Amino acid sequence: MSIVDHQFDLAAPRISEAGVADYLALLKPRVMSLVVFTALVGLAIAPGHFHPVLAFTSILCIAVGAGASGALNMWYESDIDALMSRTANRPIPRGRVTRPEAATFGVTLAFFSVLTLGILVNWYAGALLAFTIFFYVVVYTMALKRWTAQNIVIGGAAGALPPVVAWVAATGSLSAEPVLLFLIIFFWTPPHFWALALFRNDDYARAGVPMLPVVAGPHATRLQILLYTIVLVAVAAAPWPLGYFDAVYGIASLLLGAGMLWLAIDVYRHREGAAASRGTKKLFAFSIFYLFALFATLLIEVLVRAIAPWVG
Amino acid sequence: MDDKQEPKGIVLTEAQKKSRRERSIAIALALGVLVALFFAVTMVKGPAVLVRPM
Repeated sequence: MSIVDHQFDLAAPRISEAGVADYLALLKPRVMSLVVFTALVGLAIAPGHFHPVLAFTSILCIAVGAGASGALNMWYESDIDALMSRTANRPIPRGRVTRPEAATFGVTLAFFSVLTLGILVNWYAGALLAFTIFFYVVVYTMALKRWTAQNIVIGGAAGALPPVVAWVAATGSLSAEPVLLFLIIFFWTPPHFWALALFRNDDYARAGVPMLPVVAGPHATRLQILLYTIVLVAVAAAPWPLGYFDAVYGIASLLLGAGMLWLAIDVYRHREGAAASRGTKKLFAFSIFYLFALFATLLIEVLVRAIAPWVG
Repeated sequence: MDDKQEPKGIVLTEAQKKSRRERSIAIALALGVLVALFFAVTMVKGPAVLVRPM
């Protein structure tokens, strides 16, 4: 007779079938592409010569740091991701990757991106990248997102920091231009995400995320979108009269700003039915184009200035 | 006595083997990129690689 006469029913260890594509999905590639692009602009407008190898290293580290933030965000939010149709197909809710695997992946990438940027480029940039990851994961994801309707307003700072990190990587210092880029992305974030939240309102309500339309209602959100868009257009145009960016940028910012403002007014005016839904979707789509085109203008100007002496 | 031995431990399925191989290759490539990056920056900076602000 054995002392222990019952069998322990030990569950078989889980063997992962997650492929590379699942881990790439954890990096939020679409968000990462915008981060890389804005960082590239921050790097391009920075004064002085920056060796291409160091520039590549900086952009790679910023991209990997952004990916790490995405993985850690998915690790923490897997419960609400499973409840929302937009996020239910992410690797953790689908059962492709476990939460500990995502957390390990995220922490490893965060560690190596910060360390590599610090060692190979400079420690100011490394520290700022570490702060950006911390802000996105701890301040936005863990603290703000489930607590306040101002989650994406304050949390937007994390998404606005990549061009600043890139500038600091190139120069080792901080000045007005990257701060202006930061402010543009910071004030762009609320209209962009609240437009999304308006047509994904049911998703956020089901998951219990206190987005502004869920907490304050769609009418208040439409007003806030309009107010933030007015501030955004002013902030985006300001570098021209202040003398930081030239007239080409200034005119582009006013034209693109007019488009943003037109759509924000449309969202404010049409509050019911198909026209309201169409308006929010249009604003969401245009806001992505707006930021891309605004930053592309700066990038093209830098390229034109660089090529001009060769062309004659 | 039966000569045939039951497989001991965990036996991976083909799908598990394939995904493990995929992940191993990805990790190897990432490490390769990291090594290449450190080598390239060392070449670019020369002795200045040891001089770091802060």
